[in-house]
Amino acid sequence: MLKEHIKKVKSGEIKLTEYVKEVLDKCKSINKELSYFNTICKKEALEQAKEVEEKIKSKKAGKLAGLIITVKDNLCVRDVESTAGSRILKGYKPLFDATAIERLRKEDAIIIGKTSCDAFGFGSFNTNVGLDFEIPKNHQDIERVTGGSSGGSAGITAVADFVHVAIAESTGGSIESPASFCGVIGFCPTYGRVSRSGLISYANSLDKIGVMTKKVKDIAPVLEIISGFDEKDSTSLKHKINLKSDVKKLKIGIIKESLGKGIEPEVKKAILKIIEKLRKKGFICEEVSLPITFKYGVPTYYLISTSEASTNLACLSGLRYGQEEDPKGKSFAEYFSEVRSKHFNDESKRRIMLGTFARMAGYRDAYYIKATKIRTKIIEEYKKLFEKYDVLISPTMPVVAPKISEVKKMTPLQNYMMDILTVGPNLTGMPHATISAGDKEGLPIGLMATTDHQEEGKLLQFLEIIEGLQ
Amino acid sequence: MKFSSDIVIGLEIHVELDTKTKLFCGCKRRTTEEPNTNVCPICLGHPGTRPVLNKKALASALKLCLALDCDLSKELIFSRKSYFYPDMSKNFQITQFEKPLGSKGKLQLKKGKIVNLTRIHIEEDPAALIYPKGMKGSSYILIDYNRAGNPLVEIVTEPELTSPAEAREFLNQLVSILTYLKIFDINTCTIKADVNVSIKEGNYQRVEIKNISGFKELEKALTYEVTRQKTLLRRGLKVKMETRGWNEAGKTTISLRTKETEADYGYIIEPDLSTIDITDELIEVMQKEIPELAQQKSERFVKEYKLDKVDAQVMAMELELADLFEKVAEKIDPKLAARWLRKELLRVLNYNKKTIREIKFDEKEIIELLSLMQTKTISETTAQRIMEKLMSEKFSPKEYVKKEGLIQVSSESEIRELCRRVIKEQEKAVKDYLAGEEKSFHYLVGQVMKLTKGKANPILTDKVMREELKTAK
Repeated sequence: MLKEHIKKVKSGEIKLTEYVKEVLDKCKSINKELSYFNTICKKEALEQAKEVEEKIKSKKAGKLAGLIITVKDNLCVRDVESTAGSRILKGYKPLFDATAIERLRKEDAIIIGKTSCDAFGFGSFNTNVGLDFEIPKNHQDIERVTGGSSGGSAGITAVADFVHVAIAESTGGSIESPASFCGVIGFCPTYGRVSRSGLISYANSLDKIGVMTKKVKDIAPVLEIISGFDEKDSTSLKHKINLKSDVKKLKIGIIKESLGKGIEPEVKKAILKIIEKLRKKGFICEEVSLPITFKYGVPTYYLISTSEASTNLACLSGLRYGQEEDPKGKSFAEYFSEVRSKHFNDESKRRIMLGTFARMAGYRDAYYIKATKIRTKIIEEYKKLFEKYDVLISPTMPVVAPKISEVKKMTPLQNYMMDILTVGPNLTGMPHATISAGDKEGLPIGLMATTDHQEEGKLLQFLEIIEGLQ
Repeated sequence: MKFSSDIVIGLEIHVELDTKTKLFCGCKRRTTEEPNTNVCPICLGHPGTRPVLNKKALASALKLCLALDCDLSKELIFSRKSYFYPDMSKNFQITQFEKPLGSKGKLQLKKGKIVNLTRIHIEEDPAALIYPKGMKGSSYILIDYNRAGNPLVEIVTEPELTSPAEAREFLNQLVSILTYLKIFDINTCTIKADVNVSIKEGNYQRVEIKNISGFKELEKALTYEVTRQKTLLRRGLKVKMETRGWNEAGKTTISLRTKETEADYGYIIEPDLSTIDITDELIEVMQKEIPELAQQKSERFVKEYKLDKVDAQVMAMELELADLFEKVAEKIDPKLAARWLRKELLRVLNYNKKTIREIKFDEKEIIELLSLMQTKTISETTAQRIMEKLMSEKFSPKEYVKKEGLIQVSSESEIRELCRRVIKEQEKAVKDYLAGEEKSFHYLVGQVMKLTKGKANPILTDKVMREELKTAK
C-alpha cells in the first residue's frame, strides 16, 4: 500500500497538493465527530506538499515522498503547537523538530497534524485529556474509548481511507492499548531505537517512539527512516536496525498469567483460537510463566514512571513558554503553584504527587530505588525465556474498549491495573507489537507479541504470520 | 563527629571548568554579550530537549580527580536534584549524587598537612538572578540564562581545616593544581566556596556561609564568622544552625535562613544521560595528560637547582612563574634567578596590583637584566628600577642601560673622589657617625648613590667610605 502510494506520487499519478488538500478536509470532518486531532496543520502541510512536488519534478524526492504522517502531540514539530495534550503547554511552539520528524521530513513525508493523547501520556484510555481538550471516540462505538494514551494515533489509523502512518509513543502501553482497541497494528521498537530528542518526556527511561499502521509491510519503510543513533539523544542505540528475519520455525511462548483471572472470556477465546491456528501450521507454542512481572510489574512501572514524570513536569512553571498568569504581587512559589494548579488536569497532579512521594528522602529507598532493582529482575526474567523462545504472546489488553462512562467510574488502581499485560515489555525495553486477533461484537481484540532486545526483524516476521492467518 | 581543634572548617568549592561550550549543550561557556543571548532550547529547559554530555568537561574532571588522588567511580552517572527556584530552567539541576566521579581524595598543604576530600563531582551551573533594587528591596527579579548550564566541578573537603588562613591556603593550592592541569583559567572561570564553620566553645554547632568568591574574601568571611560566634557565646547566647551569606561590602556575614532540617531534593537517576564506563584505558589516557604538579616541581627545584625550600615552593606554586624561572635558570645562576623573581618580580607585581599573566615582558628581558647584574655592569638598585619600568612597557634592558648611561661605576678612584666630596659637604652626618651613629653611615653612602643616580657599585662604595671616614677622624 505504502510503496505503491509513493510510486504513484513520484510518477505524478497522484497530484500531491490536491491529494493533501483532500486528506486535510477528510481529517477535519473526522475530527468533528471523533476528536482525533489536537492540531491539524493545514498551512504547513500544503506548503510541504508544494515543496515535495517541486522536488519530484527535479527528481530529488525522498524515500517517503508524499506519505501522510500524523504525530502524537507529545512530539515536537517545529513551529506547530505541541502541547502533549495538556493545557499548561498551550501556546508552546517548539523551535525544533523531534529527530524522528526531522528524518521523515527529510524523506519528504507530509506532516498533517498532531494527534490526541492523555495529557503527557498519563492514561490507558485517552480519557485523561487536558483541560479544554476533547476525549477521542472509538470509531466502532462513539460511547467507547479509543484506548490511550496514543488514542488519536490509533483512531486516525483505523478510519483513514488514505495511506497513512501514525507516529506514536509508548511508556507503559500507550501504543498497544489504543491500537488494540481500534483494531490496528501498533509497533513499539527496542528502547533507544528511535531517538527521543524532541519527545516531551513522560518517563525518560521508558519512553519509546513507535508507529501505527493498517498493514504489517508499511511498518518497515518508516521504521528504517526514523530509527538509528542520534547525537542529540545519548540513550539512542548505535546498532543498526535489522528488519529482516527468516527464522524457519519461530518458537512461541504463551504467557500463562495473561490468560488467567481478570481476562475477559471473549478476549481469551480469541487468543486461544490464534494459538490453535499457529499450532496447526506447525509452530511450537508452549506455555511460559513470568511470575515476577505479573506480581510486581504494575507497581514497579508506576513508581519509576511517576518518579521520572514528576521531575520532567517541574519545568512547567509558567516561565518562558506555555501558560502564564499575572505575577504581580506573588512570590515565585505562589506564582508557579497558581499556574500548575490551574492548568494541570487531575491525573497529572496525581502522578506528580505519587512520583514526588516515591523519591522523597525516607521513602526513596523503599519505593524508587527498590522499583529500579525489581525492574532489573523483570528484565532477567524475560531474558531467560528468550534463551528458549523467539516470541512471547499474550492478549494486549484484558478487555475490549470500555465505555467512556465506565472508565470514569474506575478507581485509579483499577485503571492502572489495565496495564498489567503491557508494562512487562515496556519495563524491559523490548520490541513488542499488537495486531488484531478477532473481535467481540465488532470491538477489536488485540494480540501482543514481544521479542528480545534488537529483534525487530523477528517481530515483523511474526506479525506477517498472524496477518496471514486472517 | 569528634573534633579537637578550636576551629573546624569544611569547604565546598565550585570550580567552573575551562571548556569551549556548556556542560550539556552547544552554547559557548563564556559570554560577554547581552543577557539571555547565549542560550538555546536545551539550557532554557524547553520541553522535548535533552542534555548531551560535554566530553571535555568529563576529561577535565577526571584529571582533577586523578591529580587529587581520588578513588574513581567505575561509571559516570548523573542525577536530578529537584527543587523549585527561578534560576533553574528545569526546576532540577543535573548533578551527581550516589556515585560521585571521585571520592576519598587528598590535597597536601605547604607544611605537609593532608586535607581529605570527601568527594568531587560534576554538575551544571544555574542561571544568574539579578535583583534590580538589591536582595531585599526588589519587587521582581530578572533571570539571565547566559551562564546556565556552565560546567562546574564541586570539591567537598572533610571538616579538617583549623583556621581561616589554612582555608585560604587550601584554595590557593587547589587553584595551583587547576591551573597546572590547564582545566581552569583564572581570568574567565569563576571559583566559589560554600563553607561550614564551627568552634569548640559553641560545641561545634555548624554554620554555613554561602557563595564566597576570592581567596581574601574567604579568609575574611571565616575570620569574621569565628569572631561572631565567639562574641555570641561570650555574651551567653547560642550559635544557631543556619545558612549565612557573605556581604563583601559590609565585611559581615548575614543570616539567610535558619535550617531546621536538611532540604529534600528527591534525587533520581538522570535517565536522559546514558551511563559512561570509566575504563582503565580511559584512566590511563587521562593519567598521561597530567603534568608535573607544583609539589613535585618544588621538590625537583630543590634537588636540581639547589634552591631554598621556601623559594622553590613559591616559585612552583604558580605555573607561569615556575615556567619563567626555568627558562631564566638556563642562562642565569638559578639561585640568583629564584631570589630575584621571588623577591623583586613579586614585589613589583604586588605593588602594581598585577598578576604574572599580565606582564608584558618575558624571559628574554629578565635574562638580559639579570646578566647585567651578574656581571656587575649595573647595580642592584638600577636593576630594581628597570624592573619597575618593565611593568609598563617592554624594552631591552641592555640597550636601555647603554642609552641612559646606567652602567655601574666601579672605578675605585672615581668612587673615592665622590666619597671625599660627600664627607666634606656633610659635616653633621660625619660628626654623628664618628660619635657612633651607624645610621649616618648609610646616609653618607646614600649621598654617593644620589650623586651617581644609583650607579655606584655598592660594595665598593661601602669599603671606600669606611676607609675615607677613618682618615677623616
